[in-house]
Amino acid sequence: MTNGTNAEIYDQGYRVYDGPRTGVRTAVFSVWKVSVQRALGLRRKFRFKIIPAITIFISFVPALVFLGISVVFPAELADQFVDFSGYFGLTGVATVLFTAFVTPELLISDRQSGMFGIYMASPLDRGNYLWAKLQAIVGVISTVTLLPVVFLLIGYLLVGVGPEGFSDIASTGLRIALSGLSVALFYSLIGMAVATLTNKAGVGSAVVIMLFLVSAFLANALVDVADAPDWVLAFSLFQLPGDIAARIFDEPINQLNGVSTAASVSVFVATLVLSLVIVWSGYKRVEVSK
Amino acid sequence: MVISAVSLSKRWGDNQVFSDFTAEIPRGITGLLGSNGSGKTTLFGMLLGLHDRNSGQLSVLGEDPQTAGPELRQRIGYSPEHHDLPIDLAAQDLVRHVAEIHGLPKREATTRASDALWLVGLGEERARPIGTMSTGQRQRVKLAQAIAHGPSLIILDEPTDGLDPVQRDDMLQLIRDVGTKYEMNVVLSSHLLEEVERIADNIVIIANGSVAASGPIDVLRSQSGGAVVVLDDMHEAVATKLTARGVPTRIDGNRLLLGKDEPIEALAPIVAEVVAEAEASLRRFGPVSYSLEDLFLSEVTS
Repeated sequence: MTNGTNAEIYDQGYRVYDGPRTGVRTAVFSVWKVSVQRALGLRRKFRFKIIPAITIFISFVPALVFLGISVVFPAELADQFVDFSGYFGLTGVATVLFTAFVTPELLISDRQSGMFGIYMASPLDRGNYLWAKLQAIVGVISTVTLLPVVFLLIGYLLVGVGPEGFSDIASTGLRIALSGLSVALFYSLIGMAVATLTNKAGVGSAVVIMLFLVSAFLANALVDVADAPDWVLAFSLFQLPGDIAARIFDEPINQLNGVSTAASVSVFVATLVLSLVIVWSGYKRVEVSK
Repeated sequence: MVISAVSLSKRWGDNQVFSDFTAEIPRGITGLLGSNGSGKTTLFGMLLGLHDRNSGQLSVLGEDPQTAGPELRQRIGYSPEHHDLPIDLAAQDLVRHVAEIHGLPKREATTRASDALWLVGLGEERARPIGTMSTGQRQRVKLAQAIAHGPSLIILDEPTDGLDPVQRDDMLQLIRDVGTKYEMNVVLSSHLLEEVERIADNIVIIANGSVAASGPIDVLRSQSGGAVVVLDDMHEAVATKLTARGVPTRIDGNRLLLGKDEPIEALAPIVAEVVAEAEASLRRFGPVSYSLEDLFLSEVTS
Protein backbone atom coordinates (compact mmCIF):
# COMPACT_ATOMS: atom_id res chain seq x y z
CA MET A 1 0.00 0.00 0.00
CA THR A 2 1.43 3.39 -0.95
CA ASN A 3 0.72 6.35 1.23
CA GLY A 4 -0.26 9.62 -0.43
CA THR A 5 2.94 11.52 0.32
CA ASN A 6 5.44 9.46 -1.64
CA ALA A 7 3.25 8.35 -4.58
CA GLU A 8 4.60 9.21 -8.03
CA ILE A 9 3.20 8.78 -11.50
CA TYR A 10 5.82 7.17 -13.71
CA ASP A 11 3.80 6.66 -16.87
CA GLN A 12 1.41 9.45 -17.76
CA GLY A 13 0.69 8.08 -21.25
CA TYR A 14 0.41 10.30 -24.29
CA ARG A 15 0.00 14.00 -23.59
CA VAL A 16 0.25 17.14 -25.66
CA TYR A 17 3.67 18.86 -25.55
CA ASP A 18 3.54 22.52 -24.60
CA GLY A 19 7.17 23.07 -23.61
CA PRO A 20 9.80 25.08 -25.48
CA ARG A 21 10.87 24.01 -28.96
CA THR A 22 14.49 23.96 -29.99
CA GLY A 23 14.24 25.35 -33.52
CA VAL A 24 15.82 24.69 -36.87
CA ARG A 25 19.41 24.19 -35.64
CA THR A 26 18.38 21.16 -33.62
CA ALA A 27 16.40 19.85 -36.57
CA VAL A 28 19.51 20.13 -38.75
CA PHE A 29 21.57 18.37 -36.07
CA SER A 30 18.99 15.57 -35.84
CA VAL A 31 19.07 15.01 -39.62
CA TRP A 32 22.90 15.06 -39.51
CA LYS A 33 22.97 12.51 -36.67
CA VAL A 34 20.47 10.12 -38.28
CA SER A 35 22.29 10.41 -41.63
CA VAL A 36 25.69 9.61 -40.11
CA GLN A 37 24.18 6.65 -38.26
CA ARG A 38 22.56 5.42 -41.45
CA ALA A 39 25.73 5.73 -43.54
CA LEU A 40 27.83 3.89 -40.95
CA GLY A 41 25.16 1.22 -40.39
CA LEU A 42 24.63 2.21 -36.75
CA ARG A 43 21.27 1.18 -35.23
CA ARG A 44 20.82 -1.02 -38.31
CA LYS A 45 21.28 -4.73 -39.00
CA PHE A 46 24.78 -6.20 -39.21
CA ARG A 47 24.79 -6.39 -43.02
CA PHE A 48 24.52 -2.59 -43.23
CA LYS A 49 27.71 -2.22 -41.19
CA ILE A 50 29.86 -4.41 -43.46
CA ILE A 51 30.64 -2.00 -46.33
CA PRO A 52 31.47 1.02 -44.13
CA ALA A 53 33.53 -1.10 -41.74
CA ILE A 54 35.56 -2.71 -44.55
CA THR A 55 36.08 0.59 -46.39
CA ILE A 56 37.21 2.41 -43.28
CA PHE A 57 39.52 -0.47 -42.38
CA ILE A 58 41.06 -0.47 -45.89
CA SER A 59 41.72 3.26 -45.65
CA PHE A 60 43.68 2.68 -42.43
CA VAL A 61 45.78 -0.19 -43.81
CA PRO A 62 48.50 2.05 -45.40
CA ALA A 63 48.76 3.99 -42.12
CA LEU A 64 49.26 0.75 -40.19
CA VAL A 65 51.91 -0.39 -42.70
CA PHE A 66 53.76 2.95 -42.53
CA LEU A 67 53.68 2.91 -38.75
CA GLY A 68 54.98 -0.67 -38.77
CA ILE A 69 57.86 0.41 -41.01
CA SER A 70 58.65 3.36 -38.74
CA VAL A 71 58.79 1.02 -35.74
CA VAL A 72 60.93 -1.62 -37.45
CA PHE A 73 63.41 0.66 -39.24
CA PRO A 74 65.69 3.23 -37.62
CA ALA A 75 64.23 6.77 -37.31
CA GLU A 76 66.56 8.18 -40.04
CA LEU A 77 65.37 5.62 -42.56
CA ALA A 78 61.76 5.73 -41.40
CA ASP A 79 61.71 9.50 -41.96
CA GLN A 80 62.11 8.80 -45.69
CA PHE A 81 58.69 7.12 -45.71
CA VAL A 82 56.85 10.06 -44.15
CA ASP A 83 54.51 11.31 -46.88
CA PHE A 84 51.17 12.71 -45.77
CA SER A 85 50.04 14.16 -49.10
CA GLY A 86 50.68 10.89 -50.92
CA TYR A 87 48.24 9.16 -48.59
CA PHE A 88 45.22 10.63 -50.40
CA GLY A 89 46.28 8.88 -53.60
CA LEU A 90 46.64 5.57 -51.75
CA THR A 91 43.11 5.69 -50.38
CA GLY A 92 41.56 7.00 -53.61
CA VAL A 93 39.84 3.73 -54.58
CA ALA A 94 38.43 3.24 -51.07
CA THR A 95 37.15 6.82 -51.08
CA VAL A 96 35.45 6.43 -54.47
CA LEU A 97 33.76 3.22 -53.32
CA PHE A 98 32.67 4.81 -50.05
CA THR A 99 31.28 7.84 -51.91
CA ALA A 100 29.40 5.53 -54.28
CA PHE A 101 27.87 3.79 -51.26
CA VAL A 102 27.18 6.74 -48.97
CA THR A 103 25.71 9.47 -51.18
CA PRO A 104 22.87 7.48 -52.81
CA GLU A 105 22.15 5.91 -49.42
CA LEU A 106 21.66 9.30 -47.78
CA LEU A 107 19.91 11.21 -50.55
CA ILE A 108 18.02 8.80 -52.80
CA SER A 109 16.62 6.74 -49.93
CA ASP A 110 14.98 9.84 -48.43
CA ARG A 111 13.22 10.61 -51.69
CA GLN A 112 12.18 7.00 -52.27
CA SER A 113 10.95 6.38 -48.74
CA GLY A 114 8.93 9.58 -48.54
CA MET A 115 11.11 10.93 -45.74
CA PHE A 116 11.92 13.98 -47.85
CA GLY A 117 8.23 14.94 -47.77
CA ILE A 118 8.11 14.46 -44.00
CA TYR A 119 11.24 16.62 -43.63
CA MET A 120 9.74 19.37 -45.77
CA ALA A 121 6.59 19.33 -43.62
CA SER A 122 8.80 20.05 -40.60
CA PRO A 123 10.67 23.27 -39.76
CA LEU A 124 13.35 22.22 -42.25
CA ASP A 125 13.44 23.60 -45.77
CA ARG A 126 15.38 22.42 -48.82
CA GLY A 127 18.38 24.59 -47.95
CA ASN A 128 18.95 23.43 -44.40
CA TYR A 129 18.04 19.84 -45.28
CA LEU A 130 20.81 19.80 -47.91
CA TRP A 131 23.16 21.56 -45.49
CA ALA A 132 22.57 18.79 -42.93
CA LYS A 133 23.12 16.12 -45.58
CA LEU A 134 26.30 17.78 -46.87
CA GLN A 135 27.73 17.95 -43.36
CA ALA A 136 26.83 14.31 -42.75
CA ILE A 137 28.33 13.09 -46.04
CA VAL A 138 31.52 15.15 -45.63
CA GLY A 139 31.80 13.89 -42.05
CA VAL A 140 31.39 10.26 -43.05
CA ILE A 141 33.75 10.46 -46.04
CA SER A 142 36.29 12.20 -43.80
CA THR A 143 36.59 8.90 -41.94
CA VAL A 144 38.46 7.56 -44.99
CA THR A 145 40.19 10.77 -46.12
CA LEU A 146 41.03 12.69 -42.95
CA LEU A 147 41.00 10.22 -40.04
CA PRO A 148 43.66 7.77 -41.35
CA VAL A 149 46.09 10.66 -41.97
CA VAL A 150 45.40 12.10 -38.51
CA PHE A 151 45.95 8.61 -37.12
CA LEU A 152 49.22 8.39 -39.06
CA LEU A 153 50.40 11.76 -37.74
CA ILE A 154 49.66 10.78 -34.15
CA GLY A 155 51.38 7.42 -34.70
CA TYR A 156 54.49 9.05 -36.16
CA LEU A 157 54.65 11.49 -33.26
CA LEU A 158 54.42 8.62 -30.79
CA VAL A 159 57.25 6.65 -32.44
CA GLY A 160 59.35 9.80 -32.83
CA VAL A 161 59.41 10.33 -36.60
CA GLY A 162 57.74 12.96 -38.78
CA PRO A 163 57.31 16.64 -37.85
CA GLU A 164 59.18 18.02 -34.87
CA GLY A 165 58.48 21.07 -32.77
CA PHE A 166 55.18 22.79 -32.14
CA SER A 167 55.09 24.94 -35.28
CA ASP A 168 56.00 22.03 -37.57
CA ILE A 169 53.41 19.78 -35.95
CA ALA A 170 50.75 22.53 -36.05
CA SER A 171 51.54 23.31 -39.69
CA THR A 172 51.35 19.64 -40.68
CA GLY A 173 48.13 19.22 -38.68
CA LEU A 174 46.53 22.19 -40.43
CA ARG A 175 47.59 20.92 -43.86
CA ILE A 176 46.19 17.48 -43.05
CA ALA A 177 42.88 18.99 -41.89
CA LEU A 178 42.60 21.28 -44.91
CA SER A 179 43.48 18.63 -47.46
CA GLY A 180 41.41 15.90 -45.77
CA LEU A 181 38.31 18.10 -45.65
CA SER A 182 38.85 19.48 -49.18
CA VAL A 183 39.14 15.98 -50.59
CA ALA A 184 36.06 14.85 -48.60
CA LEU A 185 34.08 17.87 -49.83
CA PHE A 186 35.11 17.14 -53.42
CA TYR A 187 33.96 13.53 -53.31
CA SER A 188 30.82 14.44 -51.32
CA LEU A 189 29.56 17.08 -53.72
CA ILE A 190 30.19 14.96 -56.81
CA GLY A 191 28.36 12.06 -55.14
CA MET A 192 25.49 14.34 -54.12
CA ALA A 193 25.17 15.71 -57.65
CA VAL A 194 24.93 12.20 -59.09
CA ALA A 195 22.46 11.15 -56.37
CA THR A 196 20.31 14.18 -57.23
CA LEU A 197 20.01 13.15 -60.87
CA THR A 198 18.78 9.59 -60.36
CA ASN A 199 16.19 7.91 -58.18
CA LYS A 200 17.85 4.50 -58.24
CA ALA A 201 20.55 3.91 -55.64
CA GLY A 202 22.27 1.21 -57.74
CA VAL A 203 22.47 3.49 -60.76
CA GLY A 204 23.79 6.33 -58.56
CA SER A 205 26.56 4.14 -57.15
CA ALA A 206 27.56 2.87 -60.59
CA VAL A 207 27.62 6.36 -62.09
CA VAL A 208 29.81 7.69 -59.24
CA ILE A 209 32.37 4.92 -59.80
CA MET A 210 32.27 5.31 -63.59
CA LEU A 211 32.61 9.08 -63.37
CA PHE A 212 35.88 8.87 -61.45
CA LEU A 213 37.33 5.97 -63.44
CA VAL A 214 36.25 7.12 -66.91
CA SER A 215 37.43 10.71 -66.33
CA ALA A 216 40.84 9.39 -65.23
CA PHE A 217 41.07 7.05 -68.24
CA LEU A 218 40.02 9.74 -70.72
CA ALA A 219 42.27 12.48 -69.34
CA ASN A 220 45.32 10.22 -69.32
CA ALA A 221 44.53 8.78 -72.76
CA LEU A 222 44.13 12.27 -74.23
CA VAL A 223 47.48 13.40 -72.84
CA ASP A 224 49.46 10.21 -73.48
CA VAL A 225 47.97 9.09 -76.80
CA ALA A 226 46.39 12.14 -78.40
CA ASP A 227 49.11 14.58 -77.26
CA ALA A 228 46.62 16.85 -75.52
CA PRO A 229 48.17 19.56 -73.28
CA ASP A 230 49.15 18.44 -69.78
CA TRP A 231 46.51 20.57 -68.06
CA VAL A 232 43.87 18.15 -69.39
CA LEU A 233 45.06 15.80 -66.62
CA ALA A 234 43.33 18.13 -64.16
CA PHE A 235 40.04 16.71 -65.48
CA SER A 236 40.92 13.33 -64.05
CA LEU A 237 38.51 13.46 -61.12
CA PHE A 238 40.22 10.42 -59.62
CA GLN A 239 43.67 12.06 -59.50
CA LEU A 240 42.64 15.66 -58.89
CA PRO A 241 41.94 15.35 -55.10
CA GLY A 242 45.41 13.86 -54.50
CA ASP A 243 46.94 16.62 -56.61
CA ILE A 244 45.16 19.30 -54.57
CA ALA A 245 46.37 17.67 -51.33
CA ALA A 246 49.94 17.61 -52.69
CA ARG A 247 49.71 21.32 -53.51
CA ILE A 248 48.42 22.05 -49.98
CA PHE A 249 51.49 20.19 -48.66
CA ASP A 250 53.66 21.83 -51.36
CA GLU A 251 55.09 18.48 -52.43
CA PRO A 252 55.69 18.48 -56.21
CA ILE A 253 56.42 14.75 -56.32
CA ASN A 254 52.73 13.92 -55.72
CA GLN A 255 51.38 16.56 -58.09
CA LEU A 256 50.02 15.88 -61.58
CA ASN A 257 52.85 16.23 -64.09
CA GLY A 258 52.77 19.47 -66.06
CA VAL A 259 49.56 20.78 -64.50
CA SER A 260 49.80 24.27 -63.00
CA THR A 261 48.35 25.12 -59.62
CA ALA A 262 45.98 27.56 -61.33
CA ALA A 263 44.64 24.87 -63.66
CA SER A 264 44.34 22.34 -60.88
CA VAL A 265 42.56 24.70 -58.47
CA SER A 266 40.30 26.05 -61.25
CA VAL A 267 39.05 22.59 -62.21
CA PHE A 268 38.68 21.67 -58.52
CA VAL A 269 36.61 24.77 -57.71
CA ALA A 270 34.61 24.54 -60.95
CA THR A 271 33.72 20.93 -60.15
CA LEU A 272 32.54 21.94 -56.67
CA VAL A 273 30.45 24.82 -58.04
CA LEU A 274 28.95 22.73 -60.84
CA SER A 275 28.05 19.97 -58.38
CA LEU A 276 26.44 22.49 -56.04
CA VAL A 277 24.40 23.96 -58.90
CA ILE A 278 23.22 20.48 -59.93
CA VAL A 279 22.23 19.58 -56.36
CA TRP A 280 20.42 22.84 -55.67
CA SER A 281 18.59 23.09 -58.98
CA GLY A 282 17.67 19.41 -58.79
CA TYR A 283 16.27 19.69 -55.28
CA LYS A 284 14.34 22.83 -56.11
CA ARG A 285 12.37 20.70 -58.55
CA VAL A 286 11.73 17.74 -56.23
CA GLU A 287 7.99 17.66 -55.62
CA VAL A 288 6.77 17.26 -52.05
CA SER A 289 3.03 17.29 -52.70
CA LYS A 290 1.01 18.56 -55.62
CA MET B 1 -10.54 29.76 -36.71
CA VAL B 2 -7.80 27.20 -37.26
CA ILE B 3 -7.59 27.83 -41.00
CA SER B 4 -8.93 30.75 -42.97
CA ALA B 5 -8.65 31.01 -46.75
CA VAL B 6 -9.94 34.00 -48.70
CA SER B 7 -10.09 34.10 -52.51
CA LEU B 8 -7.18 31.72 -52.79
CA SER B 9 -5.90 30.86 -56.22
CA LYS B 10 -3.23 28.39 -57.25
CA ARG B 11 -2.02 27.39 -60.68
CA TRP B 12 0.34 24.59 -61.72
CA GLY B 13 1.42 25.57 -65.22
CA ASP B 14 -1.77 25.63 -67.30
CA ASN B 15 -3.75 23.80 -64.66
CA GLN B 16 -5.82 26.16 -62.48
CA VAL B 17 -6.15 24.11 -59.28
CA PHE B 18 -7.90 26.74 -57.16
CA SER B 19 -9.73 29.90 -58.10
CA ASP B 20 -11.51 32.01 -55.53
CA PHE B 21 -11.18 29.31 -52.85
CA THR B 22 -12.72 30.69 -49.66
CA ALA B 23 -13.22 28.61 -46.53
CA GLU B 24 -13.14 28.89 -42.75
CA ILE B 25 -12.12 25.80 -40.80
CA PRO B 26 -12.97 25.97 -37.09
CA ARG B 27 -11.52 23.95 -34.20
CA GLY B 28 -12.23 20.22 -34.18
CA ILE B 29 -12.06 17.54 -36.82
CA THR B 30 -12.60 18.64 -40.40
CA GLY B 31 -12.97 16.39 -43.40
CA LEU B 32 -11.78 17.57 -46.77
CA LEU B 33 -13.79 16.05 -49.58
CA GLY B 34 -13.22 16.25 -53.27
CA SER B 35 -12.88 14.01 -56.26
CA ASN B 36 -9.45 12.74 -57.33
CA GLY B 37 -7.33 15.60 -58.63
CA SER B 38 -9.50 18.25 -57.01
CA GLY B 39 -6.46 19.71 -55.21
CA LYS B 40 -6.72 18.29 -51.68
CA THR B 41 -3.02 17.44 -51.47
CA THR B 42 -2.08 20.77 -53.06
CA LEU B 43 -4.14 22.50 -50.38
CA PHE B 44 -2.22 20.57 -47.71
CA GLY B 45 1.02 21.72 -49.30
CA MET B 46 -0.20 25.32 -49.16
CA LEU B 47 -1.25 24.95 -45.50
CA LEU B 48 2.29 23.76 -44.73
CA GLY B 49 3.84 26.66 -46.63
CA LEU B 50 5.38 24.32 -49.21
CA HIS B 51 3.58 25.85 -52.18
CA ASP B 52 3.15 29.56 -52.74
CA ARG B 53 -0.31 30.75 -53.69
CA ASN B 54 -0.81 32.91 -56.77
CA SER B 55 -3.23 35.24 -55.00
CA GLY B 56 -5.57 35.49 -52.02
CA GLN B 57 -5.02 35.19 -48.29
CA LEU B 58 -4.35 32.15 -46.16
CA SER B 59 -4.03 31.91 -42.39
CA VAL B 60 -3.15 28.72 -40.48
CA LEU B 61 -3.15 28.86 -36.66
CA GLY B 62 -3.19 32.63 -37.02
CA GLU B 63 -0.11 32.81 -39.27
CA ASP B 64 0.53 33.08 -42.98
CA PRO B 65 2.23 29.81 -43.99
CA GLN B 66 4.03 31.53 -46.86
CA THR B 67 5.98 33.76 -44.48
CA ALA B 68 5.92 31.87 -41.17
CA GLY B 69 6.97 28.51 -42.67
CA PRO B 70 9.36 26.87 -40.14
CA GLU B 71 7.76 28.42 -37.03
CA LEU B 72 4.34 27.31 -38.20
CA ARG B 73 5.39 23.86 -39.39
CA GLN B 74 6.80 22.92 -36.00
CA ARG B 75 3.24 23.23 -34.64
CA ILE B 76 1.75 21.04 -37.37
CA GLY B 77 1.83 17.25 -37.65
CA TYR B 78 1.62 15.80 -41.14
CA SER B 79 0.90 12.29 -42.26
CA PRO B 80 1.45 11.83 -46.01
CA GLU B 81 -0.70 9.70 -48.26
CA HIS B 82 2.02 7.27 -49.35
CA HIS B 83 2.88 4.18 -47.29
CA ASP B 84 6.61 4.32 -48.01
CA LEU B 85 8.70 4.88 -44.92
CA PRO B 86 12.34 3.91 -44.28
CA ILE B 87 11.96 0.13 -44.11
CA ASP B 88 14.99 -0.67 -41.98
CA LEU B 89 14.32 1.99 -39.35
CA ALA B 90 12.63 0.97 -36.10
CA ALA B 91 9.26 2.66 -35.58
CA GLN B 92 10.42 4.36 -32.39
CA ASP B 93 13.57 5.70 -34.09
CA LEU B 94 11.50 7.25 -36.88
CA VAL B 95 8.91 8.78 -34.53
CA ARG B 96 11.60 10.13 -32.18
CA HIS B 97 13.52 11.62 -35.11
CA VAL B 98 10.43 13.37 -36.46
CA ALA B 99 9.67 14.69 -32.95
CA GLU B 100 13.23 16.01 -32.71
CA ILE B 101 13.08 17.83 -36.02
CA HIS B 102 9.85 19.45 -34.81
CA GLY B 103 11.78 20.98 -31.94
CA LEU B 104 11.42 18.56 -29.05
CA PRO B 105 14.52 18.14 -26.88
CA LYS B 106 16.09 14.69 -27.19
CA ARG B 107 14.74 13.32 -23.91
CA GLU B 108 11.22 14.61 -24.52
CA ALA B 109 11.31 13.26 -28.08
CA THR B 110 12.27 9.79 -26.83
CA THR B 111 9.55 9.70 -24.17
CA ARG B 112 6.82 11.10 -26.37
CA ALA B 113 7.71 8.88 -29.32
CA SER B 114 7.15 5.91 -27.06
CA ASP B 115 3.91 7.39 -25.67
CA ALA B 116 2.59 8.12 -29.17
CA LEU B 117 3.36 4.59 -30.33
CA TRP B 118 1.56 3.15 -27.29
CA LEU B 119 -1.40 5.41 -28.04
CA VAL B 120 -1.73 4.11 -31.59
CA GLY B 121 -1.43 0.53 -30.39
CA LEU B 122 2.15 -0.16 -31.41
CA GLY B 123 3.74 -0.04 -27.97
CA GLU B 124 4.88 -3.65 -28.08
CA GLU B 125 6.02 -3.31 -31.69
CA ARG B 126 7.92 -0.06 -31.38
CA ALA B 127 11.37 -1.59 -31.83
CA ARG B 128 10.38 -3.43 -34.99
CA PRO B 129 11.73 -2.22 -38.35
CA ILE B 130 8.97 -0.53 -40.34
CA GLY B 131 9.67 -2.80 -43.31
CA THR B 132 8.35 -5.77 -41.32
CA MET B 133 5.05 -4.03 -40.53
CA SER B 134 1.69 -4.40 -42.28
CA THR B 135 0.00 -1.51 -44.10
CA GLY B 136 -2.26 -0.98 -41.09
CA GLN B 137 0.71 -0.76 -38.74
CA ARG B 138 2.50 1.65 -41.08
CA GLN B 139 -0.58 3.88 -41.11
CA ARG B 140 -0.39 3.88 -37.30
CA VAL B 141 3.31 4.75 -37.41
CA LYS B 142 2.45 7.66 -39.70
CA LEU B 143 -0.18 8.84 -37.24
CA ALA B 144 2.25 8.44 -34.33
CA GLN B 145 4.95 10.53 -36.04
CA ALA B 146 2.33 13.20 -36.78
CA ILE B 147 1.19 13.50 -33.15
CA ALA B 148 4.35 12.73 -31.15
CA HIS B 149 5.53 16.34 -30.99
CA GLY B 150 2.18 17.57 -29.69
CA PRO B 151 1.08 19.69 -32.63
CA SER B 152 -1.82 22.13 -32.58
CA LEU B 153 -2.96 20.97 -35.99
CA ILE B 154 -2.69 17.55 -37.61
CA ILE B 155 -3.00 17.12 -41.36
CA LEU B 156 -3.81 13.56 -42.42
CA ASP B 157 -3.78 12.75 -46.12
CA GLU B 158 -5.98 9.69 -46.76
CA PRO B 159 -5.23 8.13 -43.34
CA THR B 160 -7.25 4.98 -44.00
CA ASP B 161 -5.97 4.25 -47.47
CA GLY B 162 -5.10 0.57 -47.85
CA LEU B 163 -6.74 -0.56 -44.61
CA ASP B 164 -9.25 -3.38 -44.28
CA PRO B 165 -12.65 -2.57 -42.68
CA VAL B 166 -11.57 -3.55 -39.16
CA GLN B 167 -8.32 -1.61 -39.36
CA ARG B 168 -10.23 1.34 -40.81
CA ASP B 169 -12.65 1.37 -37.89
CA ASP B 170 -9.74 1.30 -35.43
CA MET B 171 -7.93 4.10 -37.26
CA LEU B 172 -11.04 6.27 -37.37
CA GLN B 173 -11.59 5.76 -33.65
CA LEU B 174 -7.95 6.71 -33.02
CA ILE B 175 -8.29 9.90 -35.04
CA ARG B 176 -11.52 10.72 -33.23
CA ASP B 177 -9.74 10.20 -29.88
CA VAL B 178 -6.83 12.39 -30.91
CA GLY B 179 -9.22 15.13 -31.95
CA THR B 180 -11.51 14.97 -28.93
CA LYS B 181 -9.51 13.58 -25.99
CA TYR B 182 -6.34 15.54 -26.70
CA GLU B 183 -8.11 18.51 -28.30
CA MET B 184 -5.91 18.61 -31.37
CA ASN B 185 -7.35 20.13 -34.50
CA VAL B 186 -7.46 17.58 -37.30
CA VAL B 187 -7.87 18.13 -41.03
CA LEU B 188 -8.12 14.91 -43.00
CA SER B 189 -8.78 14.09 -46.59
CA SER B 190 -10.57 10.97 -47.62
CA HIS B 191 -12.30 9.65 -50.67
CA LEU B 192 -14.65 7.61 -48.47
CA LEU B 193 -17.55 9.87 -47.51
CA GLU B 194 -18.81 7.49 -44.87
CA GLU B 195 -15.52 7.84 -42.98
CA VAL B 196 -15.68 11.60 -42.88
CA GLU B 197 -19.32 11.43 -41.85
CA ARG B 198 -18.39 9.22 -38.90
CA ILE B 199 -15.63 11.26 -37.34
CA ALA B 200 -15.65 14.82 -38.65
CA ASP B 201 -17.37 17.78 -37.02
CA ASN B 202 -17.01 19.92 -40.15
CA ILE B 203 -16.53 19.35 -43.83
CA VAL B 204 -15.17 21.27 -46.78
CA ILE B 205 -16.25 20.05 -50.20
CA ILE B 206 -13.93 21.06 -53.04
CA ALA B 207 -15.29 21.11 -56.55
CA ASN B 208 -14.01 22.87 -59.66
CA GLY B 209 -11.23 24.66 -57.80
CA SER B 210 -13.38 26.30 -55.17
CA VAL B 211 -15.40 25.46 -52.09
CA ALA B 212 -18.74 23.92 -53.06
CA ALA B 213 -19.92 23.67 -49.45
CA SER B 214 -18.40 23.98 -46.01
CA GLY B 215 -19.49 24.04 -42.39
CA PRO B 216 -20.61 21.75 -39.58
CA ILE B 217 -21.93 18.47 -40.97
CA ASP B 218 -25.22 18.66 -39.04
CA VAL B 219 -25.96 22.15 -40.34
CA LEU B 220 -25.12 21.22 -43.91
CA ARG B 221 -27.30 18.16 -43.75
CA SER B 222 -30.34 20.06 -42.50
CA GLN B 223 -29.95 23.35 -44.33
CA SER B 224 -31.17 21.95 -47.62
CA GLY B 225 -34.89 22.34 -48.23
CA GLY B 226 -37.49 19.61 -48.43
CA ALA B 227 -39.27 17.55 -45.83
CA VAL B 228 -40.04 14.01 -44.93
CA VAL B 229 -43.55 12.78 -44.16
CA VAL B 230 -43.96 9.40 -42.43
CA LEU B 231 -47.44 7.91 -42.78
CA ASP B 232 -49.10 4.74 -41.51
CA ASP B 233 -51.24 4.45 -44.62
CA MET B 234 -52.59 6.23 -47.71
CA HIS B 235 -49.08 6.88 -49.09
CA GLU B 236 -50.11 6.95 -52.75
CA ALA B 237 -53.16 9.11 -52.18
CA VAL B 238 -51.23 11.72 -50.21
CA ALA B 239 -48.39 11.69 -52.74
CA THR B 240 -50.80 12.26 -55.60
CA LYS B 241 -52.54 15.14 -53.82
CA LEU B 242 -49.22 16.77 -52.91
CA THR B 243 -47.99 16.50 -56.48
CA ALA B 244 -51.28 18.01 -57.65
CA ARG B 245 -50.66 20.94 -55.28
CA GLY B 246 -47.29 21.54 -56.98
CA VAL B 247 -45.06 19.82 -54.39
CA PRO B 248 -42.69 17.30 -56.01
CA THR B 249 -43.15 14.10 -53.99
CA ARG B 250 -41.41 10.73 -54.05
CA ILE B 251 -42.51 7.61 -52.15
CA ASP B 252 -39.62 5.96 -50.27
CA GLY B 253 -40.94 2.98 -48.31
CA ASN B 254 -43.36 4.25 -45.69
CA ARG B 255 -42.24 7.83 -46.08
CA LEU B 256 -42.74 10.57 -48.60
CA LEU B 257 -39.82 12.81 -49.61
CA LEU B 258 -41.02 16.30 -50.48
CA GLY B 259 -39.49 18.89 -52.84
CA LYS B 260 -35.84 19.62 -52.09
CA ASP B 261 -36.04 23.28 -53.02
CA GLU B 262 -39.06 24.09 -50.86
CA PRO B 263 -38.53 25.53 -47.36
CA ILE B 264 -40.13 23.38 -44.69
CA GLU B 265 -42.18 26.33 -43.37
CA ALA B 266 -43.94 26.59 -46.76
CA LEU B 267 -44.58 22.86 -46.93
CA ALA B 268 -46.06 22.48 -43.43
CA PRO B 269 -49.58 23.97 -44.10
CA ILE B 270 -49.90 22.13 -47.44
CA VAL B 271 -48.99 18.78 -45.83
CA ALA B 272 -51.44 19.41 -42.97
CA GLU B 273 -54.30 20.09 -45.42
CA VAL B 274 -53.51 17.15 -47.71
CA VAL B 275 -53.17 14.65 -44.85
CA ALA B 276 -56.49 15.85 -43.41
CA GLU B 277 -58.19 15.60 -46.79
CA ALA B 278 -56.90 12.06 -47.37
CA GLU B 279 -57.73 11.07 -43.77
CA ALA B 280 -54.26 9.53 -43.47
CA SER B 281 -52.45 8.81 -40.19
CA LEU B 282 -49.42 11.09 -39.88
CA ARG B 283 -46.55 9.75 -37.80
CA ARG B 284 -43.86 12.33 -38.42
CA PHE B 285 -43.24 15.49 -40.38
CA GLY B 286 -39.80 17.14 -40.38
CA PRO B 287 -36.78 18.28 -42.36
CA VAL B 288 -34.94 15.78 -44.51
CA SER B 289 -31.56 14.75 -43.11
CA TYR B 290 -29.38 14.19 -46.15
CA SER B 291 -26.39 11.90 -46.06
CA LEU B 292 -22.98 13.30 -46.80
CA GLU B 293 -23.03 11.37 -50.03
CA ASP B 294 -26.25 13.15 -51.10
CA LEU B 295 -24.64 16.48 -50.25
CA PHE B 296 -21.37 15.69 -51.96
CA LEU B 297 -23.03 14.45 -55.13
CA SER B 298 -25.43 17.35 -55.25
CA GLU B 299 -22.67 19.95 -54.75
CA VAL B 300 -20.17 18.38 -57.09
CA THR B 301 -22.64 17.70 -59.88
CA SER B 302 -24.19 21.15 -59.62
